[in-house]
Formats: sequence, C-alpha cells, structure tokens
Amino acid sequence: MKLPQAQVAVLEAASADEQRTIDRIAEAADLKPEAATRAAFELDDAGLLEVTERTTSDVELTEEAERYVEAGLPELRLYEAAVDAGADEDPVQMGQVIGASGLAGDAVDIALSNYARKGYGEIDSGEISADPEADPDADEEATALDALAEGAGAYARETALEDLDNRGLIEQTETVVRSVTLTDDGVTELMAGIETAETVGQVTSEMLTSGEWESVEFAEYNVEADAERVVPGRKHALREMAERVTDALVGMGFQEMQGPHVDADFWINDCLFMPQDHPARNHWDRFALDTPESIDELPTGLADAVESAHREGVGPDGEGYHSPWDLDFAKALALRGHTTSLTARHLSGEAMGDLEPPQRFFSIEKAYRNDTLDATHLLEFFQIEGWVMAEDLSVRDLMGTFTEFYEQFGITDIEFKPHYNPYTEPSFELFGRHPETGEMIEIGNSGIFRPEMLDPLGVDCDVMAWGLALERLFMLATGAEDIRDVHGTLVDLEFLREEEVTY
Amino acid sequence: MPTVEIDPDELRYLTGHDEKDDAELKEDLFGLGLEFEGETDDGEFELEFAPDRLDRLSVEGVARSLRYHYGDDRGVYVPSTNDAEWTIRVADVPEDRPYVTGAIVRGLDMDDAALDSLIQLQEKLHATMGRQRAKGAIGVHDLTMLKGETLKDDDDSAKSITYTGVDADEETMVPLEGDQELTLREVLEVHHIGQEYADLVADYASMPAIYDEIGLFSFPPVVNGRRTEVSADSRDLFIEMTGTDQWTVDRMLNIVCYALDARGGKVEEVDVEYTDDAPVTPDAGRELIRPDLVTKEKTVAHGDIETMLGVDLDERDVVDLIERAGMDAEPTETDDGTAAYRVEVPPYRVDVLHPVDLIDDVGRAYGFNELEPRYPDVSTVGGRHERSRLEDAVRDRLVGQGFEDLLNFHLIDEEQNYERLNVSQGSDAVGGGEAVTIEQPYSEDFTMVRSWALPSIMMVLENNTHRAYPQDLAEVGFSAHVDERENTNVAERRTVAAALCHAGASYEDAKAALRALVDGFDKDLETPATEHPTFISGRTASVVIDGEDVGVIGEVHPEVIVEHDIELPVAAFEFDLDALR
Repeated sequence: MKLPQAQVAVLEAASADEQRTIDRIAEAADLKPEAATRAAFELDDAGLLEVTERTTSDVELTEEAERYVEAGLPELRLYEAAVDAGADEDPVQMGQVIGASGLAGDAVDIALSNYARKGYGEIDSGEISADPEADPDADEEATALDALAEGAGAYARETALEDLDNRGLIEQTETVVRSVTLTDDGVTELMAGIETAETVGQVTSEMLTSGEWESVEFAEYNVEADAERVVPGRKHALREMAERVTDALVGMGFQEMQGPHVDADFWINDCLFMPQDHPARNHWDRFALDTPESIDELPTGLADAVESAHREGVGPDGEGYHSPWDLDFAKALALRGHTTSLTARHLSGEAMGDLEPPQRFFSIEKAYRNDTLDATHLLEFFQIEGWVMAEDLSVRDLMGTFTEFYEQFGITDIEFKPHYNPYTEPSFELFGRHPETGEMIEIGNSGIFRPEMLDPLGVDCDVMAWGLALERLFMLATGAEDIRDVHGTLVDLEFLREEEVTY
Repeated sequence: MPTVEIDPDELRYLTGHDEKDDAELKEDLFGLGLEFEGETDDGEFELEFAPDRLDRLSVEGVARSLRYHYGDDRGVYVPSTNDAEWTIRVADVPEDRPYVTGAIVRGLDMDDAALDSLIQLQEKLHATMGRQRAKGAIGVHDLTMLKGETLKDDDDSAKSITYTGVDADEETMVPLEGDQELTLREVLEVHHIGQEYADLVADYASMPAIYDEIGLFSFPPVVNGRRTEVSADSRDLFIEMTGTDQWTVDRMLNIVCYALDARGGKVEEVDVEYTDDAPVTPDAGRELIRPDLVTKEKTVAHGDIETMLGVDLDERDVVDLIERAGMDAEPTETDDGTAAYRVEVPPYRVDVLHPVDLIDDVGRAYGFNELEPRYPDVSTVGGRHERSRLEDAVRDRLVGQGFEDLLNFHLIDEEQNYERLNVSQGSDAVGGGEAVTIEQPYSEDFTMVRSWALPSIMMVLENNTHRAYPQDLAEVGFSAHVDERENTNVAERRTVAAALCHAGASYEDAKAALRALVDGFDKDLETPATEHPTFISGRTASVVIDGEDVGVIGEVHPEVIVEHDIELPVAAFEFDLDALR
C-alpha cells in the first residue's frame, strides 16, 4: 500500500492500544497540528485509523482564588481562629475572632457566609461557635483549589468545581481534543508494510522549473471534502437590483439624472403644483431641516410663474388653488420626499440647460420620509423615477412604456387603475401580476404631468412620468421580508453574504 | 390613503340597483377608483379613495357616481332651491376666520343610516378640504331648535343669526356631549372635543361664535352647542361653515347639499351678509346668496382628447362620454376654428381646475383599460450620469479587492456621527463638518445627515460581531455638511470609505487597499503623517491624491473600537470620490 508521507507518519505515530492526542501525534510525526488532523481524518475515511473527539473543560483559577491558594480559604482561617479562641467549647465574641484571623474587608463577609454554609459552626447575636467535629483538612473546596493550583484539576470532584465556579473562583472553558487509535485494518496494513508514496501535495515553483514534476505522483485529494468557506467581496444586494434596473432603463433610452438630496420645498413640491397647505406638506410629513433653513436663490422668474400657476392656474380656462402661497415656505429646505425634485430641476433647465423633445430621463436615488421604521418602510428609500418628454404623448404611450419596463422583471398583465396625484392628470396606479405568487400587486404610480406643472417650467410638450420604490421591487423579486435586514446600518452581513445574486 | 365607509345596502337603495350583489358592487366601485380595503364590524365596505373626488366621501355621492357609471343618469344635475328666509350676518369676526357660508335643507326623512352618513361626510370633508377644520369647518344644526332674530317687523319669516367674535371668558354654552354650561375657555380646557381643537383658535384675537336670539349655539371650528344637536328625527337642518377661504367653505357646502338632496331634502338658500364690522369682504361682494350651485364652463379641444387618449373619437362619442361623466357638452369651435366642446361642470366637482381634468373624465368613462398599450415611437439615447459611472467603477474595484459593499442610511444621530468616533463637530478633521439637522425627527437615532461614512461602517461592524471575520467593508456613498458657499447652504459630498476588520488588520493593509484602488484610476497617492481623533496617533495619514488633501487613513484608535464593542483591530480610510475623477 502506498500512502502520502503525512499519512504514513501519522499512522506510524499512532498506537492500537492507546488513544493519542493529535498534538502528540503531530509532534511525533513532525507535522503541523492542522496537517496531522487532516491526515488523521483522511486515514479515518480510509478505515485505518479511528478519530475520537472528547470535550474537555479547562479550568483556570481567578485572581481571588490565587490569593486563597496562598493564604487559605477565608472560612478556614476563621475556623482556625475560632478554635484557637475556644469557640469549640463556648461561643466567643465575633470581633475578637475576626481580629485574630487577620481577615478584613470583603473577606470577612465571604468567610462568614461560607462558614455557616459549610457547617464549621454558627454565628448568633454577635457570637461565633465552632463545631469541634468539623475537619478543615477535609474541605473539598480547599482540596480542589490546591489540586487546580498544582495542575491536577482533572481529579477534582465535580461538586467542588461547581461550588468554586459559583464562588467565582474558577473559570471553565471547553475545548475539543481529538485522539486517534489504529484500527485492526490499520495494524494489518502497517504489518504488511506501507510505502511512502512519492506523491506531492502542493505543486511548487521549484518542482516546475526543475522538471521534478515529471517523476512525481500527485497525491489524490478528497475532492468531495468541504472546502473552507470564504467571504468574497460582493456588491450590496440592493445595489445589484439598482444596477439591474439601471441597465433596463439605459437600454430603453433613458438618461440618468442626479441632483441635491437637500433641496428647497420649491423644487420638491411647489414646482409639482402641490398646494402649500397640502396635507403632505405639513410639518410632520415634510422632512424639514433645522440647520440650514432655506435656500439662497431660486431662479428669477420661475418662482413668480409657479406662484401664478398655484394662484390662477394656467390657460384661459384654468383655475388655481384656493390655498396660501408663500415664497419663504417655498425656499425652506427639506430632505426630498421624492426624487421628482430632480425631474423639476431638469425640466426647468436648471440642471442641464433647456431640453428639447424628445427626451427620456431616469434616476434611482434616495428619497426620505419622516416616519417610523417598520419591516416594509424605512426613513430613506430608493425611488425609481422615470419620464419621457415628447410631442403629443398619449396614455397608450405611457402604458406601452411601463408594460415594456415591468416585463423585463417578469411582471406581466399590467393594469392601470385611474388615480389622483396633484401633479399628473390622468394618473394611474400600476398593478401587475407577481411572477411567483400570481397575485395582483401594486407596482408603481404614474401619470402625465399637468399643464400647471409644465407651463411654469417652460415645457410646451407632453411629459409622462412614473415612480416606484426600488425596495419594493427588491422585496418582490427576492422574497425578502424585512427591509431593515437589507438596507442600512442594522444590516445583517450574513443576509448580504447569502443573498442570491441579481442579474 | 384615506378610506370611506359605505353601507352596501344603502348603496343598492340609493342607486336603485337591488339586484347587485356585493361582489358586483366591489367591481363597479373599483372601476370608479374606489378600492375595496375590507369590511367594518357592521358589514360596511371600507373603500380607499383618492382625495380628488371629495363628492364621493359619502354613500350618496358614491351612489350618484355609480348611477352615471351604469348609464342610469346622464349630464349635469343641479338641485333646485327655495328662496332664502334666513340671513347670516357677519359681524366683527376674528380676522383669522373671516368667512362663513350656509344653507338650509328641509323635509328630510332621516334615519340612523342617513345620519351616520352625514356625520361621516362631515368628518371626511374636515379631514380633506377642511384641512383638519383649519381651512373649513362644518356645523349642522336642527333648524327647529333655532330662533332667528326677526329682521322686519311686518315679516316674521325673515330671520337672522349672527357670526361674530367673542371673549373666551365671557360667553358660555353647553357643548355637544356635555351637560353643563361652560365658558368657551372652559370648553377648550376641559371638554374632550374642545381640547382636541383648542390649538386651532389658540392665536385668535377673539373666539368665533354663532348666535341666534336665544344665544350662542355654535363655537366654530371647535364644537356645536347641544341645543341644536341633529338626531335621526330631525327633518329641517341648518348648515353653517366657517373658514379661511370663501371658495373652500362654499364648495364644502355644495357637497353636503348634494348629499342631502339625494336624501330627499329640499335645499333652501341663505343670505350671507358681511356687515361693515366684518374684517374682510369676499371677492364676490358683501351680500352672498348661498349655496352657490352654479355650474362652471370649460372648453376642451377635440384634438386634445384624441391625443391624450391615443384613439380617434367622433363628436357623438365624446358628448356621450362627457354626459356619462355627469357633465354636459356642447360642440363648438375655438377661435382658430378647431373642433371643441363647451363642457358644463356641476358645482360639487371641486377637482376640475383645467380642461385636462375633463379629458381624464372622458378617459375614465371610456375605460382606460380598454386602451391598447403601444411603445412610443420616440427615439432617445440612454446613458448613465458620469458620477454614477464613477461610483460604480470604484465599487467594482473595491469588491474586486475583497470588500463587502455596504449601503447605509444617510441619516444618523450626533452621538454616532461625532462622539463615538471622538470627532468634534465643527472641527477641521475629516467628518467634523457642521451637521445638517432635521427639524422634527421622529426618532432620536435619525436626527442629522451623516457628515462622513465611517461611523456607519463602524455601526455595521458593531452589529455584526457574531458574524464570521474577516469583515472588510466598504461604502461609496453620500454625506453632507453645512456650507454657506452653496446655494442650498449644504455641501453634498460623495465619499469612499472602507474598513478592514480582522485579526492583524493594520495600517499597512489599509494603505495597500487604498494604493490598489487609487492606482486603478492612474492617480498619485501620498500619505503624509497627520493627526485625527478617530485614529491612533503615529499611525494616521492624510490621503493626498494628485496633490490634494482629500481624506484620512489610519488604524482606528482602540478607544473607538472598544466603544463599538469590537474585539478585533480596525484599519480604515475615507476620502472624496471626486478625487478619482
């Protein structure tokens, strides 16, 4: 029989009569413990060796215990002093005994409580008596403590160890010790003689350059054995989903927008024809800033045009809101509640100059909501926002675009439920069929921007838009149930490591 | 979204469609945009509504819409009204609540269901158009309990009540659900409805109050008096609404009048007279006759309808669809000779602001889901923003170097952002920028926008000490701090942050990672020694890329590591993404 060198060494170091620990084997075989362990398991697989595992507890003395090893357990010192004072015949005043024992501070309390517990005597109304029958030399805890100090703790009694543990005198840790014995097959093979196979494990540089590789045999590995688990670098699971959506949209001709997270309410709401007394703009739902409070400048003319749209409407038959409109409120800063503020900045020409139709734009950027966290809602989420600017867009174009988009994610049978948004008309909530469960689920909100929004921004063609939370798409696609595990500082690294790759 | 509760039996009764079962009703309601959310304990439908069609906040309005939907009704309907006998005189009312409107409805045959519906309509109107009663508040009273002041000696049918402002400590009333006479201040302080709405009048110079000859019977927008409380036996109702805007209260009143008309009531006009003592005069003048059930007219072009819906329609179809939406349409031509319609819109439609709203109604009547989707024949070139390409390239690079990519919250609190990393706010150290803070945070964990990303990474390390190491984490993300040079007074920064946490993680490891990253972008990297309170002195350097100081690198100080309950060394760096451009 031929075996690799490490296995032969382990086999030869092992005995059929005696369990030997891996550490001992490794030393004898001149191997690293890991290599010896690996060889032992391979031999175990081959039936030549038996590996047994034993859990041993390792006991260490605490600092307090070390002191007692030197000076003796406090209760024993107390007993000695009590007997010296004659307390084995008649109760003696406690102060006297304690003074004589040399105990002080915490040690006095420790001595007293253990004294009574272990039956060395009694303490009653300030007097101490000692049981003449008690034998301090037979104290199990003291014996165990001494044994531990000498490194012979294995022979200490279990109950004594428990008591010491309870007193905080020892710390116990568990370790697994592997030992090996030769099996009958192993003995037989050894008797028959085992050659060291000229096998090589690692292919080395020297072996390659010297040509030695031509004359060696390669050790067989257990190719089915489990490999070590490594943690690879990877992109965040939600980011992967964002990339996937980005790819889809870029492929459909959409160009990406970016812009400020902290913005004036003007860009977040006023430009979207949201009346200033709209419930979503009250101080609770707005994510208003304390510092800083407001933007310095709004584009000249645009603020007037927006105010006029709010007050008077646009067009000969238009009407405005019967709501207050205040420039200071428009200039107040907030964390954007939706990324439609970016759309407003782009449509107005503020972001990258005036845009001529046709245009398609998108963003997958953070929006913020001032609310409480739960399993499906965070204070910050990624909003997928997209819009198309062209002459004479119809509801059918809107439907066609979104049907195409959602089909790329396996969501079909899109339905368009007429809906209301202050800044779009017509407006639709989008429903689609879940690829796995088959349920109809809400998948977004869409519409054609109102003239009261577009006219002040200087846009004189049609713009249709839609929005959707990336987290919602992620949860639909992955089945994740608690978004807090995924996004944010409460993230569970294990979740991110194990989450299936999105492509 | 808000919900409205509708009794399906009432709905069958008011639509005249007894044969419809619950399932059919639900489907028809969905068609109107009223989504079935569930059922109440009493078997009423809970319907989610979009807050535009406020005329559908009660079963009467929903039934009206359904009848149009079924084709039972067509065109505009306006209830006829009787002439006014009663006058509301507006005296020196508080300037904060100067407007009032009113109507009388007689001959109602109310029952508990009708009363419940009226109460719900009031509540929902308060919640929506009324902006929680701040903008408009409704009071409904049993008319028989009111004694108007006689206006003319020879005609005792002409009666008046007065809306005025009074001193909170001098006037008294017995409020609804109360049993003793209280001053208005006591109402605000001890009565449960008073307490709920006390904030609304806290800054008023005087308290709004409505009087008849007997005394104060309404304390808008807070609570009505008990004397005029409406019951299922009430037949004649007096409705008043006060608010900050005449248009708003008038439109709220219209919706209530239409609902009561559907219950068989006869609407009677009320004169509203703004006296010389009134602080403001409505645009419409001092003397108003209310309710203002006048239709409005808007012109919509035929071509605009066809373009928006993407289908060809003939004139008859359009007129038919408009009538089925509860409006009237008269074909006409615009000034430039194109085909159009003059559309008459009923006075409960508070949502119609622009002709585009009429096109939406045509589409709904046509059935949007009947339209065939088509991919628009518009060609554009797609592409990513340069910065997002850069972010992505850096992320790819870091992942290739073995980092796990993170996506942390941008919101954090001061303790996590500064204190736990030993950084002082307002200092020059990386991360020390002045905090962008939230005015009214819900949670004390999220009170500011993070000024750097390393604190977030430290939190992730702290929350994952039970997970396998190495934990080499990186984030290409967002941070912000106050900067008065910016228009928004906020400097928004994209930042690259990374931390290596494993046995033996050292400055050298972090530098090697940073070196590999920066080399990939063909930039010069220098790391002159510096001090930073988060890192160990003597093992900290500035990140200088192409000669510019853009960040910091070092071994995190044990004090910071232990503060985060981490038991392994951490080496980290953070710098501006733009340095790699």
